[in-house]
Amino acid sequence: MRKFHLVRRADASLKRTLIYYAIGILVSLIIGAVILAALGINPLEYYGKMFTIGLVGNRYGYKSVEGLLKIFVPLLITSLALSLSFKMRFWNIGGEGEFLIGAITAAIVAFNSSGLPNFVTVVLMCLAAMISSGIIGVAIAALKVRFNTNETLMTLMLNYIMLYVIRYIGDTKADWNFFLREDSERPIFGTFPESAFMGGIPIGKFKLLWAVIIAVLLTVIIYVYLKYTKQGYEISVVGDSSATAKYAGMSVGKIVLRTMFISSALIGLAAALAVSSAGTISETITNDVGWTGIIVAWLSKLSIPAVFVTSVLISVLQYGCQAAATQYPAIDVNFADLLQGIILFSVLVADFAANFRLMKKEEAK
Amino acid sequence: MIDVITLFLFNIIVYNIPLLYGTTGEIMIEKSGSLNLGVEGTMAIGAVVGYLAGAKCDSLFVACLVSFIASGLVGLLFSFLTVTLQANQNVTGLTITTFGVAFYYFIGNALSNSEDGWPKLSGTRLDEQSQAIHIPFLSDIPVIGKALLSHGILVYLGVLIAVFMWLYFKKTLPGLKLRAIGENPGAADSLGVNVTLYKYVHIIIGSGIMGIGGLYMGLNMGGTFEGSNCWINGYGWISIALVIFANWSPAKAILGTLIFGFFNTLRVQNAALAYTFPDTLGWLIKIPSHFFSALPFIITLIVLITSSLTSKGKSGEPQAIGRNYYREDR
Repeated sequence: MRKFHLVRRADASLKRTLIYYAIGILVSLIIGAVILAALGINPLEYYGKMFTIGLVGNRYGYKSVEGLLKIFVPLLITSLALSLSFKMRFWNIGGEGEFLIGAITAAIVAFNSSGLPNFVTVVLMCLAAMISSGIIGVAIAALKVRFNTNETLMTLMLNYIMLYVIRYIGDTKADWNFFLREDSERPIFGTFPESAFMGGIPIGKFKLLWAVIIAVLLTVIIYVYLKYTKQGYEISVVGDSSATAKYAGMSVGKIVLRTMFISSALIGLAAALAVSSAGTISETITNDVGWTGIIVAWLSKLSIPAVFVTSVLISVLQYGCQAAATQYPAIDVNFADLLQGIILFSVLVADFAANFRLMKKEEAK
Repeated sequence: MIDVITLFLFNIIVYNIPLLYGTTGEIMIEKSGSLNLGVEGTMAIGAVVGYLAGAKCDSLFVACLVSFIASGLVGLLFSFLTVTLQANQNVTGLTITTFGVAFYYFIGNALSNSEDGWPKLSGTRLDEQSQAIHIPFLSDIPVIGKALLSHGILVYLGVLIAVFMWLYFKKTLPGLKLRAIGENPGAADSLGVNVTLYKYVHIIIGSGIMGIGGLYMGLNMGGTFEGSNCWINGYGWISIALVIFANWSPAKAILGTLIFGFFNTLRVQNAALAYTFPDTLGWLIKIPSHFFSALPFIITLIVLITSSLTSKGKSGEPQAIGRNYYREDR
């Protein structure tokens, strides 16, 4: 009946995948250009502004880089963490919720830290955030392992429960609520004491925050962990087939629990670094990294070096749209999300084209 | 006093019917074995496109039709990517949400900044047609008439869709085949059911239904676009939760909508209730509104966990949900 059918390519090569991906991204940018042109804006100029994130001809260019890095660090770490759990086919889409738990815990430490040395405070914030987020991750993993509860839906619910928790904290004036500024009638999140601010290495006017260095180091560590350690190997076996893993004598439950702890704890760490870099907490502190991280992980096909590159590109896209918005008021900052969506759709098509091919029925037989 | 109760019941329905649209749409999709996490985005696109078309033609019918088509096209995109191209359902769905909500803001802001501005609803025929209909006698029944039988046409349409979908699943052959695909696509395929076609059709129709729900939300907000607040306002996510709460049954979805709607209305009207019944309900004022907002998600989390603890047999969850079907992997 049908003349063609689809066959998975046995020879899927990295080169072909990269070429197809590049075509996919190019097509998305062209679609974006058409939208821009329809609104009467020169797409080349806009893209130029976007990709240079407002650096060119800007005396305060270093501020742009700092702003970009503030988007980049949490996104990179969250994407790395999500890749870990996706590699075992554990659908942790609770990045937002885990991030918020980490952020709230880190803020609790920060607001009560006056008097402590800076280094100690920041380390304590990170540890507290990692433990609290990690515990939630383990709890969800345990339910999945023990009772096969649907982890996608559980983590989804977690995101929204945590969103309302932070909104509650941010809206409620009360004696116990040390998160808010005392000198304000309206509920506003307070600023951390000096001791809880992320330090950094000054390079001229620019300050390279420790968070950036930690994020880059983490990328290397996770790469090595997945590629060269026994635990990393176990993750990939469980992802390929948990039946195989069981047959090989691996304790699948233990691997899932351990990996989910690491994954959630890393998201907690990302949150601690983010609040410490910002010097405060807010309802929008996640900057949607829990969602964007999923897109980044997927665009990268869960490859760690690719996650790094994709995080840079998506951060440039997002920060670039913010930077360009000052000059093009007609173009909403949501253009970044719109373009991000189009890119993912195109890349999904490209990925398919790189991995499958159409065959004539007769030929297949 | 009776007025407060009547208004409370009335509001449960008026403000929460979009949940029923979202939920029934998602149930249809999930019954075909696909998990579409793009409800929020699908509703947003249906809402904005349908509203604009409806305002242009000044007709509620056009608005509904275009909403259905626009969201149906989003469903087509989802089906194409996940059914034909075997893309991951979670990632595709979440991206549809990101894309759809961004689309809503992008179009809305672009139009608001344009010369003509965002089309207004008040005073148009579209507005008139979406208003509550007064049914002779029935609408005049005390309490019940006002609370249940004085609504706009889209409220009744939502309930009708749920009832028809329930009958469709239970009583018809295509409904049976659809459920079979959701449980075990390989088995259905081997019995000669066209799995791909069934998935496409039901994902598109389900998405289209969500779109009308989105349109309803827009009309209910008086059609005003705000740069910072999406019309859908998280209802898409609550709908996904409600699917679980309703145990994948369109009939229970009606009940679930009323229950989630009850909490939602409690959030808005807790002050009115506490004021009217200070002795019995005075404590309501002390409960933070965010608790009521989070309640649907908390309840769903509990339902998810408890239902996985107890017997699996009773769950309406399609067994093949979330997994793509690729014939040659069978």
